[in-house]
Amino acid sequence: MTNIVVLVKQVPDTYSERKLSETDHTLDRESADAVLDEINERAVEEALKIKEAGEGEVTVVCVGPDRATDAIRKALSMGADKAVHVSDPALHGSDVLATAKVIAAAIQRVEGVDLVIAGNESSDGGAGAVPAILAELLGLPQLTHAHHVNVEGSAIKVDRETADEGLTHLEASLPALVSVTEKINEPRYPSFKGIMAAKKKPVETLTVGDLGVDAGEVGLANAWSSVVESAPKPPRSAGVRVEDEGDGGTKVAEYLVGQKLI
Amino acid sequence: MNFTESEERTALRQAVYELGTKYGHEYYMKLARSGGHTNELWDEAGKLGYMGVAVPEAYGGGGGNIGDLAAVCEEFCAAGTPLLLMVVSPAICGTVIARYGTDAQKQRWLPRFANGEVRMAFAITEPDAGSNSHKITTTARRDGDDWILSGQKVFISGVDESEAVLVVGRSEDAKTGKLKPALFIVPTDAPGFEAKQIEMDIISADKQFGLFFDDIRLPADALVGENTDTALLQLFAGLNPERIMGASFSLGLARLALAKATEYAKSRSVWGAPIGSHQGIAHPLAQIKIELELARLMTQKAAALYDAGDDLGAGEAANMAKYAAAEVAIRAVDQAVHTHGGNGFATEYGLGGMIAAVRVGRVAPVSREMILNFVAQHSLGLPKSY
Repeated sequence: MTNIVVLVKQVPDTYSERKLSETDHTLDRESADAVLDEINERAVEEALKIKEAGEGEVTVVCVGPDRATDAIRKALSMGADKAVHVSDPALHGSDVLATAKVIAAAIQRVEGVDLVIAGNESSDGGAGAVPAILAELLGLPQLTHAHHVNVEGSAIKVDRETADEGLTHLEASLPALVSVTEKINEPRYPSFKGIMAAKKKPVETLTVGDLGVDAGEVGLANAWSSVVESAPKPPRSAGVRVEDEGDGGTKVAEYLVGQKLI
Repeated sequence: MNFTESEERTALRQAVYELGTKYGHEYYMKLARSGGHTNELWDEAGKLGYMGVAVPEAYGGGGGNIGDLAAVCEEFCAAGTPLLLMVVSPAICGTVIARYGTDAQKQRWLPRFANGEVRMAFAITEPDAGSNSHKITTTARRDGDDWILSGQKVFISGVDESEAVLVVGRSEDAKTGKLKPALFIVPTDAPGFEAKQIEMDIISADKQFGLFFDDIRLPADALVGENTDTALLQLFAGLNPERIMGASFSLGLARLALAKATEYAKSRSVWGAPIGSHQGIAHPLAQIKIELELARLMTQKAAALYDAGDDLGAGEAANMAKYAAAEVAIRAVDQAVHTHGGNGFATEYGLGGMIAAVRVGRVAPVSREMILNFVAQHSLGLPKSY
C-alpha cells in the first residue's frame, strides 16, 4: 500500500496571453484561461501508475483560489482518490517559502504519506524551488528532476536529468519526495467514468487558519522576494537563419546544443 | 431552466477535444486522402468510454445520454478529427438496440458499443427510396425460423469499417399480410452481402457504399426486438439521435472553420494591420459566431428534450437544429476560405477539403427541404405539400 500525495497547481493556460496585474505584479488570473499545469498531470499520472502497479491511495494537494477546484477535478477525473484544497485570500502573492509551508502543513494532515510527487516547476511562477523547500520542511529525502521513477517495496530509485548536470541515479528509502520532469510520462486522458466519478470524490477545503499556519507568514506583504517591476515580453525576434551549404544539419544541431535543447 | 452544461459535460468536452487535437486535422486529412481510417483514434476514444457515454451502465457504458454523445461528436469535429460513424454506430444503432433489442441482443452488442469495439453501419436509403421511407423495397421473408433478406441500399457510410449493418427493411405482417417495417442486424460477412464503394468527391476517412443483399439467410434473432411490432418505434427512436448527432457534427466543423478563420484574421497582416481589424472580414465572422451559438443552443435543447423523454418536442427541435447547424457550417467554411484568400485553397490550411464535407449536412441525413416541409406542416399547420 503506497500512500501518495501529488501536488497540483492551477495555472494560466500557456496558449493564452498571460499577464501580471499592474498594481502588485502578481498573476492576473482573470486574463487567461486556467488549467491544471501540464507537469502536474504528469505527476498525477506517475502516482496512478505506482498505485496501479500495487495498491495505494492518491491524494491531491492544491493551494489556490476557489476556482482551482477545476484543476483538482481534472486530477480526480484522471483517477486520484481524494483532495485537500487550501484556499484563503490571505495567500494572495505568497512566495515559494510561504507556499511550501502551507503545503507542508496540508500534507501533514494526510496520514501515513509514503511519497510526495510534484512537478519540477510550474509553468507560471517557474521558481522550481517548492519541491526542495518542501522536502526540507518535511524532513524527506528529495529526488528532484526525475524522468524515471521506480518504487520497490520501501525503496525508491530515480533517474535524475538536468541540463547542467546530465544524468544521475538517485536512491532513497520511503517516505520521500520526488519532482518529475516533462519526460517522465504521457499523462492519460480522463475516461468518461472517471469524469463522472470525480464529483463524488471527497475534497477537503481548508484555510490557512485551519492548518495552524500564522497568517503573518503568508501573502504578498510577508514575502521574502518582491517584484520591483515587470514588462511585457518583447515581440518575437526574427530568429536564426541557417543557410544549408551541405552542413545544414550540423548547424541546426549546434544551435540546439547552444540553446541546451539537445 | 438551465443554459449552462454540467461540470461533467464540460470536462467531457475538454477531454475529448484534447484527445482529438493530439491527432489533429492534418492527421485526419492525410488519412482521408490516402484512403485510411480513423481506427486508432476511435479505439483510443472507445477505451476511454467516450463512444459508450450513452450506453446504459448495466452494459458497461457511461450511463449518460444523447447530449453527452453529441458533445463527444461535436468536440471531435471541432478538433479537426470528425468521426462520422458516431452518428450511426453509437447514436442510431446503439440507441435502437438499447431501447428495443431483446435481452440477448443487448447482452451481445451493448458491452461492445460501450467500449467502442464494435462499429455498426445503418442502412435505410435506397436508390428509389430516399426521404420517402414508405417506398423501401428491401424485404425479408420467413423461411422456417430464418429470415431471407433481399434488396439494395445506397449511400451507406463506413460499411468497410463495420462488423454489421442495421438494415431497415420490410416484412410481411403475420396477420394482415401487409408489408411493414422491420429492422435487422446483418453481419457484413454474411453470404449474399455485397458492398461496393461509391467514389465521392468528399475528403472523408469514412467511405460511402452501395449495398446489395442477395437472399441473405439470417437467423431469427437478426430481427431487432421479439417481433416486428416495435419496428416503427425503433425507427423513430433512432432518427432523433441521428438529427441531433448530424447537427453536432456540423457544429463541430463550423467551430473548426471559424477557429481557423479567426486565427488567420488575427495573424495575417496587410498594410500594417491584421486583416481581422477590417469590418469586411470581422463582421461576417461575428455573424457566423452568432448563428453558430444559436444552432448550438437548439441542438442542446433537442438533446435535452430527447433525454427527458419528450420525443415529439425533440423531433421539432432536432429538425430545426440540424437545419441551422448545417447552414452555419456551410457559411463558416465559405467565409473561412474567403478570409484566407488564396490560402483558403492551399492544402496546408485544410479548408478547401471542408467545402464539400459541410455541404453534405444540407442533404443528409434529411434534406433541408424535407425539414422545411416538416416545420411548415407540423409547426405552422400549413397544408401538406406532397
